[in-house]
Amino acid sequence: MKSRSVPILVAAMLVGANIVHAQEYHPIIVESPGMQTGQTMPRDYTPDGRNISPPLEWRNLPEDTRQIAVVCEDHGAGNPPPWVHWVVYNIPGTATGLPENLPIYANAPMPAEIAGAVQGENGWGRSIYRGPAPPLGQLHNYNFFVYALDAELDLPPGLTQQELMERIEGHVIGRGAIVPFYRRGPMDTASAP
Amino acid sequence: MAEDQRRTISRRDLLKGVGAAGAAAILPGKVDEGSAQPASPGAGTDPGRARSFAEVPRPRRLENLTADEADTLEAIMARLIPADDLGPGAVEAGALNYLDRALGGFLAGEREEYGLNLAALDRYCLSSRGAPFVELSTTDQDSVLIDLEGGSATGSGAGFTGSSASFFAMVKGHTWQGMFGDPYYGGNAGFIGWDLLRYPGVRLGVSAADQQRLEAGELLPERRSAYDSEMFEKATAMQRAQGGVEHGD
Amino acid sequence: MATRLPGTDVVVVGLGAAGGVAVLPLVDAGIEVIGLEAGTWLTRRDFAPDEIRNNVRDWPMAVQKANLEVPTTRATPDSPSFRGSSHPMMNAVGGTTLHYWAQAWRLNPWDFKVVSETTRRYGSSRLPAGTTVEDWPFDYDELEPYYDRIEYEIGVSGQAGNVAGNVDERGNRFEGLRAREYPMPPLRWTGFHERMADAARDLGWHPFPGPALINSQAYGDRAGCVYHGFCNSGGCHVDAKAGPHTTTIPRALETGRLTVITRAHVIGIDADRSGRATGVRYVVGSEEFIQPAQVVLLASYTYENVRLLRLASSHVYPNGFANNGGQVGRHYFSHHQGAPVSALFPFDISAWYGLPAQGVAVDDFADDNFDHSSLDFIGGGNLWAMSDRRPISAANGSTFGRAPSWGSEWKRYIHENADRSHGSYIQKTTLPYETNYLDLDPVERDPLGFPVLRVTAQYKQNELAIADFMQDRMEEWYRATGATEVSRGGLGNAMGLSTHAFGGTRMGDDPSANVVDRWGFAHEAPNLGILGASVMGTSGAHNPTLTVQALTWRTAEHLVKNWSSIAGG
Ligand SMILES: Cc1cc2nc3c(=O)[nH]c(=O)nc-3n(C[C@H](O)[C@H](O)[C@H](O)COP(=O)(O)OP(=O)(O)OC[C@H]3O[C@@H](n4cnc5c(N)ncnc54)[C@H](O)[C@@H]3O)c2cc1C
Repeated sequence: MKSRSVPILVAAMLVGANIVHAQEYHPIIVESPGMQTGQTMPRDYTPDGRNISPPLEWRNLPEDTRQIAVVCEDHGAGNPPPWVHWVVYNIPGTATGLPENLPIYANAPMPAEIAGAVQGENGWGRSIYRGPAPPLGQLHNYNFFVYALDAELDLPPGLTQQELMERIEGHVIGRGAIVPFYRRGPMDTASAP
Repeated sequence: MAEDQRRTISRRDLLKGVGAAGAAAILPGKVDEGSAQPASPGAGTDPGRARSFAEVPRPRRLENLTADEADTLEAIMARLIPADDLGPGAVEAGALNYLDRALGGFLAGEREEYGLNLAALDRYCLSSRGAPFVELSTTDQDSVLIDLEGGSATGSGAGFTGSSASFFAMVKGHTWQGMFGDPYYGGNAGFIGWDLLRYPGVRLGVSAADQQRLEAGELLPERRSAYDSEMFEKATAMQRAQGGVEHGD
Repeated sequence: MATRLPGTDVVVVGLGAAGGVAVLPLVDAGIEVIGLEAGTWLTRRDFAPDEIRNNVRDWPMAVQKANLEVPTTRATPDSPSFRGSSHPMMNAVGGTTLHYWAQAWRLNPWDFKVVSETTRRYGSSRLPAGTTVEDWPFDYDELEPYYDRIEYEIGVSGQAGNVAGNVDERGNRFEGLRAREYPMPPLRWTGFHERMADAARDLGWHPFPGPALINSQAYGDRAGCVYHGFCNSGGCHVDAKAGPHTTTIPRALETGRLTVITRAHVIGIDADRSGRATGVRYVVGSEEFIQPAQVVLLASYTYENVRLLRLASSHVYPNGFANNGGQVGRHYFSHHQGAPVSALFPFDISAWYGLPAQGVAVDDFADDNFDHSSLDFIGGGNLWAMSDRRPISAANGSTFGRAPSWGSEWKRYIHENADRSHGSYIQKTTLPYETNYLDLDPVERDPLGFPVLRVTAQYKQNELAIADFMQDRMEEWYRATGATEVSRGGLGNAMGLSTHAFGGTRMGDDPSANVVDRWGFAHEAPNLGILGASVMGTSGAHNPTLTVQALTWRTAEHLVKNWSSIAGG
């Protein structure tokens, strides 16, 4: 299907716009049990479902990865773009992914496998995951970026995507992405999840 | 001269004192076991304070909302300002009572909006989380409220009259009024809203010495309604013109 | 059918801050006056310390006629216009002084001479592009005796900074010379005010307590302020806040020469064939009356002053009363009070029992009190740190990103911080521009069928540059006082509706650029006087009411002295 190539293209462009020397990065392979690049996102990762954070898995990290950061952004929204859905960082370099459904309360503990990780502020001003809510009928792409960092940065909670990018500049040694899309249809009460 | 006048007023009000304040704090919201918290911080400093909201659960008397609407609203209010280890919340303060009464008076123009949007909320909850709002877990309730607040529930087609964010803002605004407004309007039972803020209370006059005591943390909170003083007209000029006034709405 | 009433000497339209003052010098001189007021009398019993009624539900404004004629607003002639549901001003005997903040500022001498002083000091190229600003037809010294008169007649508390050239560092060292001290000492300061003042001094600034039309101690038969904390948008239950309803109007009524008619909604000004005013038409309920008068004084606040003139078209005035020169509605501007800065402190600031007129002012960056050679604007702003807090508004305050705005986390936050935030109030020089004006809305009407006013106005580069500069100063001040968080609002765009609305019937010697002459009487209709900030051509960096009242007294006194030439025509 033709439309599937679009998200990949967009992602590549935007990575280039965001981080200066895109080609220098070591490519991380990002996967998710429930999501694929160029596929629609399951409802439960959106406000049409439970709006919980999706699970992510990553492979092929650079050898000297000490820490990992994850950001989900939509470059088709925001003024100026991107609209940020999720910011997670201080993830231990040994982690192999993020489990589904990270807490929505600031004082709730993170799952043991990512102990120490914190969430940053999204576009709604909250330090939690909030999934796609594009205008009815519009298709938007959601870039889940994974950054490998060469240092343990111990960043404070609540950073915005922009603040995070400033703080990790010079420490990014690898990067990967998964880019599903989402389009809202008219609500279908019969198919409750 | 002003000093004297002020002292007279407050002495008279003191005589009426706590009883009047208690009377103003009528009709607490439905109190369930879990939220019948002990007094909020600082409550111990004033032994005479009425705490009837926690002690005497009364049946809910609705003037305007249906029982289902009231249940949903109360469930929302319980998440907006929850009863927790810091003390009671909006439900215990009778914020619902404030809103219910106001919907027959000053807020009558918003009555219909409440009905339509509460129905939309339940459609949205059913479709996204599989159950009406009152039946969701508190975490899912919070998640729904976050989506309402951010406007994300709007595009779902649930049928909010405007953005889900404006419905959220309306409920939140009225909950805050019911929690932190003068108890005369039916909320802020037992002054728990003012205790939460550490508000030192409505006084008709505050001397320089009172201000210094406040700054030194030594001023005891005053807990009474503005209308416990006989000197104030309860009706607005508009209501006077139309004749008759039952309560503050 | 309208009932034609017996004539009177003077009819005053609106008994607010301006009209309510004008009546006194007139009746004292033996002139018969009828005051037509759209609102009613309110009393101390109406002023409960009730945040829901006063602040949330906008009472007493909610009972107002003004709310039925809310003007539409738009930024520029090309942008869409909006119509809100509430009008900021009051309809009552005493007008907006019932619930205003009562800061009682004089203008700075520079404000009277913006054009010539800017040209002299920096060159005429520094006057912003597109501005229509003019020098006032007279200077500060001309108005000083009238400021003095109002300060004593009505009662202002404050600390003088410059009595006849003797600078007193406790007061405002930048103020124009004043003949004598204020009649009352300033309102008291709290510990937080002292702290802000100390920090300002450490920055090399000159803090001082602001002046207020509020008694700091008993004055005449009125009590001193009791600091109960419900002054903002609320009336005063001890009458410490000064307004014509507690001062000049009762005094004028005692003479027996003032008749006050309430619920009198003026809808028209009549002219004879020579263009002189013959009286006004008003309605009470569904009855219409014609009130003939030898002199008409229009004092219904800027928006209604302009609207009544524009509505009153006739053979002599096809485009509205006294508008054959096309100046009615022009040179409009409203104080830039936006671009706020707020702060969070790590300690309680005990602001619950205060009032917006109580606080610390800094005028080091107001008007031309500082060198603008290397800056990209003229004028400046007054920094004002006041006391003002009530429970609902405190609970609605920003959490400075430290907590969400509801839920348990918020509860913990607000329990600790409800009394730890502070918001600044910064009034900034705002100029009139060619493209900012008032006219009648082509679509929207009031319930009587008359078009409402349309406000087309936008802050321009000079205002935005001041706003940016003042935000820097305010942030500096907060940080020096120990703030742990400081946040800023946007710099502003459309002017919107304002409680400080200026121009529209500007005062000046040149009839081709101004509606009223240097005395406040219309160039085209010499027995029509106009009172209020609608005659002011500059805003300064301070609230307008004291200046409005000083100008009013001066206009009334001029009328008394020239009665036969003005009234007799
Ligand atoms: C909340 C608030 C705070 C303020 N704080 C300050 C402050 O601290 N310092 C300061 O200097 N200024 C302050 N102001 C501004 C101040 O109130 C005005 O400058 C002042 O009231 C203007 O005087 P005025 O007589 O022109 O208008 P008003 O005082 O509003 O009086 C106009 C009168 O005209 C009547 N009227 C209107 N239309 C008609 C009609 N068609 N027929 C008959 N009567 C009519 C109205 O009912 C009203 O009584 C504040 C305003 C507000 C709203």
